[in-house]
Amino acid sequence: MPILEVNDLQAGYGPITALHGVSFDVEEGELVAIIGANGAGKTTLLMAISGIVPALSGAVLYRRRSITGLAAHVIMRQGIGHCPEGRRIFSRLTVQENLELGGFTQRDRWQLRRDIAEACELFPVLGTRMTQVAGTLSGGEQQMLAVARALVGRPKVLLLDEPSLGLAPLVVRQMFDVVGSLTARGITIVLVEQNARAALALAARAWVLEAGRVTLAGTGKELAADPRVRAAYLGE
Amino acid sequence: MSALFFLQQCLIGLTNGALVALMALGYTMVYGIIRLINFAHGDLIMLGACLALTLVGAFGLEAAGTATAGVATWLGIALLVGLCGLFCGLVNVAVDRLVYRPLRDAPKLAPLVSAIGVSFIFMNIGLFWLGPADRSFPQLLPTANLLPGEGLQFGWKDLLVLVVVVPLMAALMVLVKSTRLGKAMRAVSQDETAAALVGVDVDRVIAATFFLGGFLGGAASVIYGLYINTIGFQMGFQNGLYAFTAAVLGGIGSIPGAVIGGLVIGLVRALSTAYVGERWAGAMVFAILIVILVFRPEGLLGRRTKEKV
Repeated sequence: MPILEVNDLQAGYGPITALHGVSFDVEEGELVAIIGANGAGKTTLLMAISGIVPALSGAVLYRRRSITGLAAHVIMRQGIGHCPEGRRIFSRLTVQENLELGGFTQRDRWQLRRDIAEACELFPVLGTRMTQVAGTLSGGEQQMLAVARALVGRPKVLLLDEPSLGLAPLVVRQMFDVVGSLTARGITIVLVEQNARAALALAARAWVLEAGRVTLAGTGKELAADPRVRAAYLGE
Repeated sequence: MSALFFLQQCLIGLTNGALVALMALGYTMVYGIIRLINFAHGDLIMLGACLALTLVGAFGLEAAGTATAGVATWLGIALLVGLCGLFCGLVNVAVDRLVYRPLRDAPKLAPLVSAIGVSFIFMNIGLFWLGPADRSFPQLLPTANLLPGEGLQFGWKDLLVLVVVVPLMAALMVLVKSTRLGKAMRAVSQDETAAALVGVDVDRVIAATFFLGGFLGGAASVIYGLYINTIGFQMGFQNGLYAFTAAVLGGIGSIPGAVIGGLVIGLVRALSTAYVGERWAGAMVFAILIVILVFRPEGLLGRRTKEKV
């Protein structure tokens, strides 16, 4: 039984429809990837799942129950975390305050402290920067903070939007190592990436999004071997 | 003697400025959270003053006498501050719900013009409530000087401003800095979407901000009545303008900025009234505003640059 199911979802901003009926699903504990070019609708897809962008039609099911049309904070509280494109950390707050906001819904202060400590284990550099204002972190550290903030919210499903964007190659590898390790913690991952090679290597299954439609789907290995994917996304 | 005179003017300025600051907070908080200049805030304060006047009559506070500021008078004033604060807070929340929230995703001009509309509606309610003429607000506190000697005057009314304004501001700072709501407010003010994604109910936080800003405005309206002793349905416009100027001067969106802006405006107004002439006080305030904004467009405590993306 999929933990998250997206059925024929259409969504967009105002008069512009960016998604023209997208379907995919994720099993509990699975890591799936959505790959595609810039402007293919990947970010809109995640935003529509989280309730930031309203769905025009279609449905999003979480544990078989529809969450379509719910407010974003309600969807988050049900267990769907979202680390948005462009990090969107609270740049004028400290690292500590950012992480505390990640656990905004956690009422138990001790549990929150443990969750923050756990997130800092994944990204040890954050632990040394707790009192620093987040906007002064390096790009890589900001991205780590964004992922850590989402993790402090204890998501069951984590939507990760371009966690490797704009990072130095070494940091990219570190980031993908962490992302790959999250499923072992029981977190289901929907990974949106332009870095198709790394994403397909991690993903059990993947979907290719083009102009708001799914054009290819398969296991990560199948897609990585597909000549069309190789030509368009792997630069071969 | 002239030093004493100067000191006296500063005292007057700071007391007046504290009142301006309390009003400025409502502008700066709402702007900070949804980037809306709530032009109706001054008139909301006027409505608070209407209620305060009505309540003074209903409670019979005037009868309590002004010779001694008894416990009953102080309790009555505390009750007034609480009730008018509550009233203005709730009215502000209602306006947000009915007028501004439906326009949240509209171009910025739409809520701005609506705010001006709300301001006119409030003014007409005030006209209906108070009548067209200015009304005198009863003197509830004794006029005796609290400072020893003849030189400096600091009366019960001045003390009242401080005992209401200072704790309210301190409470606000603590609330914003260290409570869950305050954290949520700071998160929403920086990035609504990111705040929603960590589970913050953005609409509720905005409503809470309107309530707090309105509450402070309501408290300010009571102080205004007791301090200035004249209220009228048009008082919202000018006071709102000064308060808004204070918020801009301090750096709109910044809470300490609004406080400092209010104090600066109070001081400038008092000193120019004393040394230049009362008719020039307004001109001086706005001249200084223009000069400061030329050199520091973001205001005294505003943020200079956009953060790195």
